[in-house]
Amino acid sequence: MCHKYPGLGRYEIDAKKRVVKRVFYVNEDLHQASYHGKLNCSDCHEGVDKIPHTGAKKVDCGKSCHVIEPSTGKVFSHKAIVEDLKKSTHGVEGSLSKNKDDLPACRDCHANKPYQLGFQGQAKSMAFLQVCHQCHEEQAWAERFFRHVTYRASIRRPSADVVKLCSKCHANPGIMARHKLDVIAGFQDTYHAKAIQYGDVEVANCLNCHAPYALGFSPHRITSKRNKKSPTNADNKRATCSQSGCHVNATKEFATGSKVHISPVKVAHLMEESEESADAARNREIFQAKVLHWIKLFYQILIAAVIGGLGGHRLLDLYATHRDSKKEGALR
Amino acid sequence: MSRHGKSEKAFVRLTRSERVQHAIMFVSTTLLIITGFMLMGERSAVDLLGAAGKTIFYWRGIVHRIAAAAVTAVCFYHLYYVMFKADGKSWFRDMLPKPRDLVDAYQNVMYMLGLRKERPRLDRFTYLEKLEYFSVYFGMFIVISTGAMMWTQSYWPKFYLDVADALHLGEATLAALAIIVGHIFAVHYNPHVYPMNRAFIDGKISETLMKEEHSLWYERIIAEEASKPANGAVGGRGNA
Repeated sequence: MCHKYPGLGRYEIDAKKRVVKRVFYVNEDLHQASYHGKLNCSDCHEGVDKIPHTGAKKVDCGKSCHVIEPSTGKVFSHKAIVEDLKKSTHGVEGSLSKNKDDLPACRDCHANKPYQLGFQGQAKSMAFLQVCHQCHEEQAWAERFFRHVTYRASIRRPSADVVKLCSKCHANPGIMARHKLDVIAGFQDTYHAKAIQYGDVEVANCLNCHAPYALGFSPHRITSKRNKKSPTNADNKRATCSQSGCHVNATKEFATGSKVHISPVKVAHLMEESEESADAARNREIFQAKVLHWIKLFYQILIAAVIGGLGGHRLLDLYATHRDSKKEGALR
Repeated sequence: MSRHGKSEKAFVRLTRSERVQHAIMFVSTTLLIITGFMLMGERSAVDLLGAAGKTIFYWRGIVHRIAAAAVTAVCFYHLYYVMFKADGKSWFRDMLPKPRDLVDAYQNVMYMLGLRKERPRLDRFTYLEKLEYFSVYFGMFIVISTGAMMWTQSYWPKFYLDVADALHLGEATLAALAIIVGHIFAVHYNPHVYPMNRAFIDGKISETLMKEEHSLWYERIIAEEASKPANGAVGGRGNA
């Protein structure tokens, strides 16, 4: 009714006393094409039956919808996933952090965006849809259902997007400091990151190691490496590295010999920590970082000396040859 | 063309085997440098590749390994060559560093600075050539061993691989720069041979350049020829 008018919105002062712009405009076509296109506004937004919407509640993604889940015939709900997230390292119950204020909520990772199939996927689905339409009369429903399936059959988030998404928080020094975590600065130097940069889809992104579906995990069930069952726990890393045809011959030493993404920031932190907290793992990490630093320093000095020396020698040679040819010319 | 005429007497600088070794080394090293440093590329440069990036990345790894295998084979062949072949043995003997090289280096620098009247007289391999040659031994030992470790990565502890990676990158950077600053200058921009020393193609060195840059070697060959007048081949090693 009102929400179809572009420009509908207002400025509000949020809980942190910042002025925020709220847009209440809903593009009907975009909504129709989105994951939740079949739902009515009030299916998610509770307490909006009166105008103005004084009793509106925050959207709860775990509530039951009016849609029937076809495999069980029960009312559909994301409740299981919401519960999973709660128990994961990102949730109020599972988080090992003392600070529970800025843990991610559903919307930090998910937007109710339209299904986006790749160009090829789209072309194929459009042709195939005609088959669906032979029996399923309601065209919009058939299309949405078809996209629901085909979209999930392909890679929904390219690796580069996954890295970008996780980096929203995990590369933010402020947020990480609040939870006593380390920024993932070192990932960019790994071979995995370089391959992702070139668009390789086979190589591991954050989720392939931290939440591998192949080992029964999901992005909603990420756990800290301190959790015994976590795929990044030292005892499970060999299985994690060798899953899905990646490092099939991985040995325990390969998987646990050192960090997959080493962070220079973390090492600096470790070195600043008091002596009392010294333990073998911490000392090993500092030692490894030092060795790598020495190698780098050795080559920096060697390169400066060799290339500087060679370059200087060559320039001097040019100068001498030039000087000689002038002398020869003068004699003539 | 260099200023050394075609008609004058020429000597053998590189045998056919040496030229083939050089050619394989040259092609594979170029490929290795390109495909290796592709991993260190700026993000924005990689983004320019767009959808082709995936395929390019796939071939990058394969080309790097093929070139690595070729260069490793040449290195091992070269060891065999200097140990068991007559030409190789004489090559290695002449390449061995001697105290004389330090004197040569000192005198040459003094000459270039204008503190000495004449350049030192050099033998078959100059002190810089010897340095370059043995640097390749050191460099190849590092890159081949660390490269082999990374090729068989699953069998190594991750920290060893981190060390191998750091050494591989450091040595590759040093080698690539040394080739550009040292070797390419010596064989292309050196005013005596500009625009190109053709020895790597035809294996020959002109009499003028012999006298200019390897006068001791030149005299040695002339003396050898004089003692063996029946030897009709040009050059000191019999197989032109």
